[in-house]
Amino acid sequence: MIWTKLRRALGIDTRQSEYTYQKDPRFGHITSTRVADKWVKTTCGYCSVGCGMLVGVKDGKAVSVRGNPDHPVNLGKLCPKGLSEHHILDAPGRAKQPLLRKNGKLVPVSWDEALDTMIEKFGAVQQKYGNDALGVIGTGQLLTEECYTLGKLVQLGFRTRNSDGNTTLCMASAVSGYKLSFGSDGPPGSYKDMETADVILLIGANIADNHPILCQRLERNKSRTLIVVDPRVTKTAMMADLHLPIKPRGDIALINGIAHILIRDGLIDPDYIAQHTTNFEQFAAFVSDFTPQHVAEVTGLTEEQITHTAHLYGNAKAAFIGWTMGVNHSTQGAVTVTAINNLALITGNIGRAGAAPFSITGQCNAMGTRESGFTSSLPGYRKFDNPQDREDLARLWNIDVDRIPTARGLAYPDIIEGAVTGKIKALWFIATNPAVSFPNYSVLEQALRSVDFLVVQDGFHPTPTSDFAHLVLPAAIWGEKEGTYTNSERRISKANVIVSAPGEARSDFDIFLALAQKLGVKDELYPGWLTTHDAFREWQRVSTGRMCDYSNFTWQQIEDQGGMQWGGERLYENGVFPTADGKAILHNVPCLPFIEQPNAEYSLILNTGRTVEHWHTRTKTAQVEMLDHMVPNAWLEMNPIDADRLELRPHDRVNVVSRRSSVKNLELRITGIVAPGQVFMPFHFSETNSNRVTLGSFDPISREPNFKQCAVLVEKYVKTLN
Amino acid sequence: MSLPLHERAQDGSHDAIVRMTLADLGQPFESANIVTTISPALIPDRPLAEGEQYRFHFNMTKCIGCRSCEIACNEQNGNPADILWRRIGEIEGGTYPNTQRHYLSMGCNHCLDADCVKGCPVEAYTKDPVTGIVLHSADACIGCQYCVWNCPYSVPQFNAARGVVGKCDMCHNRLTDGLEPACVNACPEAAIEIEIVDKTAWRIDYAAAESPGMPAAGHTISTTRITLPPNSAARLERVDTGRIYPEHAHPSLVFMTTLIQAVTGSLIFALLCGGAQPLFLAILLFVTAIALNISIFHLGRPAYAWRALRMWRRSWLSREVLFFGLFFAALTAFTAGTWLIALPSSLATAIHAQWLIQLQSLPHAAQALKGLGWIAALFGVAGTIASAFIYLVPARPAWNMVHTPIDFLLSGALIGSTLPLTLSWIAQHISHLAILHSMQLPASTNTFPTWPTAIAGALCIVNQAVRLVRLNYSRLFEERATAELLNTQQMRPAVFASFALAAAAGLIAFCGGFVFATFAAFASVLLVRYLFFVSVVPLNMALTFTGGGSHK
Repeated sequence: MIWTKLRRALGIDTRQSEYTYQKDPRFGHITSTRVADKWVKTTCGYCSVGCGMLVGVKDGKAVSVRGNPDHPVNLGKLCPKGLSEHHILDAPGRAKQPLLRKNGKLVPVSWDEALDTMIEKFGAVQQKYGNDALGVIGTGQLLTEECYTLGKLVQLGFRTRNSDGNTTLCMASAVSGYKLSFGSDGPPGSYKDMETADVILLIGANIADNHPILCQRLERNKSRTLIVVDPRVTKTAMMADLHLPIKPRGDIALINGIAHILIRDGLIDPDYIAQHTTNFEQFAAFVSDFTPQHVAEVTGLTEEQITHTAHLYGNAKAAFIGWTMGVNHSTQGAVTVTAINNLALITGNIGRAGAAPFSITGQCNAMGTRESGFTSSLPGYRKFDNPQDREDLARLWNIDVDRIPTARGLAYPDIIEGAVTGKIKALWFIATNPAVSFPNYSVLEQALRSVDFLVVQDGFHPTPTSDFAHLVLPAAIWGEKEGTYTNSERRISKANVIVSAPGEARSDFDIFLALAQKLGVKDELYPGWLTTHDAFREWQRVSTGRMCDYSNFTWQQIEDQGGMQWGGERLYENGVFPTADGKAILHNVPCLPFIEQPNAEYSLILNTGRTVEHWHTRTKTAQVEMLDHMVPNAWLEMNPIDADRLELRPHDRVNVVSRRSSVKNLELRITGIVAPGQVFMPFHFSETNSNRVTLGSFDPISREPNFKQCAVLVEKYVKTLN
Repeated sequence: MSLPLHERAQDGSHDAIVRMTLADLGQPFESANIVTTISPALIPDRPLAEGEQYRFHFNMTKCIGCRSCEIACNEQNGNPADILWRRIGEIEGGTYPNTQRHYLSMGCNHCLDADCVKGCPVEAYTKDPVTGIVLHSADACIGCQYCVWNCPYSVPQFNAARGVVGKCDMCHNRLTDGLEPACVNACPEAAIEIEIVDKTAWRIDYAAAESPGMPAAGHTISTTRITLPPNSAARLERVDTGRIYPEHAHPSLVFMTTLIQAVTGSLIFALLCGGAQPLFLAILLFVTAIALNISIFHLGRPAYAWRALRMWRRSWLSREVLFFGLFFAALTAFTAGTWLIALPSSLATAIHAQWLIQLQSLPHAAQALKGLGWIAALFGVAGTIASAFIYLVPARPAWNMVHTPIDFLLSGALIGSTLPLTLSWIAQHISHLAILHSMQLPASTNTFPTWPTAIAGALCIVNQAVRLVRLNYSRLFEERATAELLNTQQMRPAVFASFALAAAAGLIAFCGGFVFATFAAFASVLLVRYLFFVSVVPLNMALTFTGGGSHK
């Protein structure tokens, strides 16, 4: 030991051995530490782009990640999170054993004790307050097979309707908007459309930061005109041929205004409208008020910009509209989606190559939860209020139809509110971290503190949420279990086992099955099930004949093809929509100002968003040293005009204060990226949690929070002794 | 034999994993296997001709700042998170909504006149004669970090755990195999590629290497070609300028330079004033030994310090090592000689050392000895000047000023003019010790004048003050940033203290308090030297606002 230390101090043994290179047979010359024995094909577990990757394994440890050059989504490329994804598997923050709170402290317990306690506590609460007193929040992080299994467990096993996914914080508005316009969820297009469209309109979508690999698809399209609508001059806006720096929530006015010009100038597709849509007359009359002059006032854009955009869109042979959270994260999110759909419908820009109104999703398997989950709808895009759908399922599951609820339970924000008001008495969070991701933190904290029993099931511990837990269940994560993810373009891809889960951590699927066993419903709900493949096979039967039909392909085929798209490359090619009359509906969408307008005291509008180096609440990316080192802390972007007015300088430490609470000690970035009167901060950081100040207002249709606009003031941070 | 990679990449029927990125990112997936037109790949498809080398081309118009290249580079080379051989920078300009932000993605620029190569004392750096890639050998490196100071782009990075520096080598082993470097391979936008450059033509016109956020390419003639956005009407500026960190203090160098300058100064002063007595010299020699040992432990690999002599023909660091080595040898000889001459002849007789008696009776022995003393002093001054030249590097503007050698020489004068008094005083006390007393060594003279300390102190103050003013009003951002750093709450008191102590040294010496004067002089020089190291702001490429990814 001393000898080694001495040699090291003298520089004789300089750890050169750790920095040698070898020739990997497949990837060539590389540091010896990244040379693998075998490569496991899988799909990335971060975002919904759904990149194919190869993970190198040596001696049972994941050592390297490569983009899969054969995968149709990413053709071998990955973003920095994907390229370093193997580091999360043996990260120090992994949850490794079940922990139960005893005398105020979380102590290790056996799985048996953990699950027995969970059943007992949930049972006691449900017996005392009714079945619906249990609230369950799932996630877009699980495998489709696990989402499907969880849905049955919660609704049919625990018999509570109050179950929702964290996807409500993310793309619920897109789901609702699609349902309103087309009669069903399901993004109609493909990434391929971005390569063939001649006009691409991105609304509230900063793909360069959030879905960087999609930029590669855009880049392949040499003849496209890219229009980006965003109040912030994002990386994506800077890629655009035309950036529309719109006022926050001016998007509905802009979209209606474009519709107005399209109708006025005859740039619509009358045949398509007549054959495949309803309500055009009323719609045309409605948008006649959205004159370029009016729209210019609302949006802050010039009439020329608006008209030019409308003409570009209207004259396009194939026009593509993509959107993400700028649209969804709003109290008007669902209707904004329908407004976007209107544009596609009146120009016939749907169901054709390059033409689609396309929601770019968030999490790796948000789509899987939408399809197979048992939350906002019944599995297989079935409806709670449709007796035929309920009977279908009862028959497939061989259960009494009365056990299937006739209406959805509470949505995520209403479950949280229910916990505060005492309606919800026990909570179970699975692979999600609301203590960072849920708006208006103080209400959430009250909810977490109010319930009798709080279970947090996660791959990591501690997390800001698991700190509140009575019971922590350690779960396997991406790379430790087998099943499927569905990406934004409806592509089902295979996720495979790379390494085994650390410590006593078990896959979510195993945990669900063990709970079913203890509840006594295993044989009924999951007869003979052993692996997620059993869940997949049942899900294939359940989805047969539905829009999201998985019965056509096996796991093996999915694996071999680099993923397969249900519904093919695009939906609605025949113009027939799953509505009562087969026609899509044009909705009249009024443009309302966002809820919390700035005033003299709270004079700035806070916008929140992401940065390419981090994923959501950083449970994973904070554990990857390289990513954490790149962006170790949050910042607040402010226009130089406001900074001058507030006498602030770059790197000053500031507080962001809203009517609810404040975020303290943020680093100030003075930049022309944001408009005067607006400020921006990333939401990833629990230390400076933007959701302390965000607004707890929710879309009446989708129940999605209004993360993107609230009124704040910014003041200089003063260090205090406490 | 396998096909050249280009063909394998094009025909698509081979193991897909080796398929390369095409400059146009390839065709949409369905047609990937039926390539009709030949797209150029991102590495050259012909061998280099005479007078050519490889270089990076970075296309700023394609880069979206996703940082995949940075991760890919670290994964390729197994570097820890805080060492990045490829780094991303942000540059920004314009006013909302006509704001522009662009990104730089830079590895090593594989310069035509690479300063890292020139400065390296051990020939760890070579510019590959075939490819022009600036290669660094971790085996040869002794971890002196002089290349880190020399590079205007702050490309070489010291890996403390290894004790050596490392840097981007353009993945030359991959290139040799016909594979793209890791960064080129990882970029989803095909923004980085390897191309061939004609060195003679590039030396004449390297304008395409210049970019906002990059230090001027002319220092070392960077070969990286940068394609700038066509409409960069908005002035693109760095966004990381508000984030200036103090540099490493290098305490070993602070002490080494101070001590060795003190010794040199003291020796000269003693020679001038006839105070180079045996005990005094013994103490000086002892201090020199300490200083040189400290300097060795500045290295990441002290055991290989001897290698530093190798490149004396071109590296100032080698020359410093050489001169101070000779200084030590000469001082040793001078001290030994002084002792031998000074020993009482009775002692020589007692131990039957005939040679000693002969030596002592040699004509001109004292003069020859004095000559040896002056030779030692000369090496000391030469070493001090070589030492100062180490810091005269364009990549560190606040060092690259005439004030640096002046400061080094004046520091020697300031301490050297007061230290001998103190040492003689100590020597006098030591000589009363029984063992030494019996030797009847010549008494130390206390004839040193005190005015030189006052003058040296005043000159030190003037030198530092002029430097501060010049830094403050410099046209160079890095020099102004140094002035700003020195004016921070943390450093300002130290600046004032260094001035006050220099003044105090002069005053106290005048009043006869030479021990206190020595103390004040030492403290002043140590403070100045500490500030010298921590307040330098190196040239660097623009980094990101949050400061992540910089090697701090």
